[in-house]
Amino acid sequence: MTIELAEVERLISEALPGASVEVVDEGGGDHLRAIVSAPQFAELSRIDQHRLVKSAVRERFDDGSIHALSITVE
Amino acid sequence: MTEPTVKDRVQELISENPVLLFMKGTPEAPRCGFSMRVVGVLDQLGAEYAALDVLPALDPLRGATGEIADWHTFPQLYVNGELVGGAEIVEELFDSGELAEMLGVPQPEPVAPAAADGAQQEAPYQSGPLQIET
Repeated sequence: MTIELAEVERLISEALPGASVEVVDEGGGDHLRAIVSAPQFAELSRIDQHRLVKSAVRERFDDGSIHALSITVE
Repeated sequence: MTEPTVKDRVQELISENPVLLFMKGTPEAPRCGFSMRVVGVLDQLGAEYAALDVLPALDPLRGATGEIADWHTFPQLYVNGELVGGAEIVEELFDSGELAEMLGVPQPEPVAPAAADGAQQEAPYQSGPLQIET
């Protein structure tokens, strides 16, 4: 089961209003990378930035649509 | 007396060990590429750390770290009781020098050409084109 990249972008964008989000497929349609820059990231540690992005797509991890999500914060 | 839960035990380990790595396999024999990358970073820094192999109890440990740190994948590196991150974050913080600072160790001198060689050697194994005889 794979997921539309646009849907992942939408989930992250909705969780982080004002963010710029790009999601690319790094393999097999379920190993994705999100490149995100968001106003909400200011003052946050790296781990908290990643937590924000991951929590936006948690359901898609849980249902197996996404197997791995790497995150690049810009 | 109730038995300590996995979560209690994990919390104890995190507070007892200033630098603690939850990993798949052991530092000598990592069983996952991401875990191996974190071990590589810690070794380059010459940091002292404790390592716990999560494979024998993967699901309970995943549940425990999920509750404690809201993080569900391994490896996980904890420094002074706080989750620093997995392989990706650890490498970023290593490159920026922040990890050395957190660990109170000197940042190794960057050796660009050697690093490039290393990257080549560590390229993932790829087989030639696979074929099935019909």
